[in-house]
Amino acid sequence: MSQQEQTAVTPAKQRGFSVDAWAVLLAFVLAALVRAGVFKHIPW
Amino acid sequence: MGTVALPQVRPVNPALQFLRVVPGVLLLAAIGYAGKLLEANVGKYAKAHHWTFPNIEYVLWAILIGLAISNTVGVPEIFRAGVATYEFWLKAGIVLLGARFLLGDVLKLGGASLALVGIEIVVAIAFMTFLGRAFGLQPKLTSLLAVGSAVCGVSAIIATKGAIDADDEDSSFAIAAILALGALALFTFPLIGHTIHLSDHAYGVWAGLAVDNTAEAAAAGALYSDAAGKLAVLTKTTRNALIGFVVLAYAFYWASRGQAQAVGNKALFLWQKFPKFVLGFLLISALATAAFFSKDQIGALANLSRWAFLLTFAGVGLRTNFKALSKQGLKPFAVGAIGEVVIAAFTLGLVFAAQRVFHW
Repeated sequence: MSQQEQTAVTPAKQRGFSVDAWAVLLAFVLAALVRAGVFKHIPW
Repeated sequence: MGTVALPQVRPVNPALQFLRVVPGVLLLAAIGYAGKLLEANVGKYAKAHHWTFPNIEYVLWAILIGLAISNTVGVPEIFRAGVATYEFWLKAGIVLLGARFLLGDVLKLGGASLALVGIEIVVAIAFMTFLGRAFGLQPKLTSLLAVGSAVCGVSAIIATKGAIDADDEDSSFAIAAILALGALALFTFPLIGHTIHLSDHAYGVWAGLAVDNTAEAAAAGALYSDAAGKLAVLTKTTRNALIGFVVLAYAFYWASRGQAQAVGNKALFLWQKFPKFVLGFLLISALATAAFFSKDQIGALANLSRWAFLLTFAGVGLRTNFKALSKQGLKPFAVGAIGEVVIAAFTLGLVFAAQRVFHW
């Protein structure tokens, strides 16, 4: 592939959230619910 | 010029997508919970009947049940979408685990880990590249194996595949080799750790440095002890944080040889490859340090993190099918296996040296 033929990789726009982002969101929602006292005790 | 009709992409209904994962998530929960029940009851039963039986932790029970299902009857189609969510639970679990670390400890431990991770990445990439050439593997397959064993397993291989225009076949070889070796690490690492009497701290750092896939690193750590599991996740998270830089370096290398597309916006490239759950982990840790959560609330978050990991461990067993992995060819597996043994020995040496410096 010559230099001219090389095209820059422009990161594709993702539709919606990634798995990472959803996982972070769920963790924050759970942390907020625990902080708000909705979940007082989580058994293990 | 004629026109070509492209197939219409039908939007997926989010409610339908949610329903598709429910059976598999329930299966993960059932296996994880069965692991907990077995841990609690098998030991008691053996003791009551005066049998000598090793104390097997829920982590190993969950993995073994998953392996038994996957390698005998297989995972039925209805459960597969849900079983594939195990990585989602892993990441949510890591973010919640941040509540168990004070930010100062994260920076102290993460700083020490970062130095070890830097050395590990350079040595692992150099050695895997040498091995790949010695065994006559395709150069891009060698790159994928090097990234997989140096940084973070499957995620790194997938990220690199896109950046260096590697073949699907090469990436599936590399992923199969890394997954098979990760499954072996689950059983060998705790055994070696106990044999040479490694402390929880030293073992956790070693598992985080040497086990490639994050789920397996977390499981290998938890199989040793709770404290080792925490340290393994922290060290592995430090490794994960560097994924963007390594992938970028490979993208530059292959683009300079005219065999991959050039990288446009480097900052955006790094941001896209950066695992966002690392930021979530740091934020929860900062909130815990700022006393945003009470002691009881931190306990509740820690238990939520344990439940999320439980689903992950069940998924690790369920997605490991030895028959399918064995079909992927011997050469990439041999290169991966030799590389992993050398990297494990090298990182163990690093951990011993760090133990002296940091007095772990």
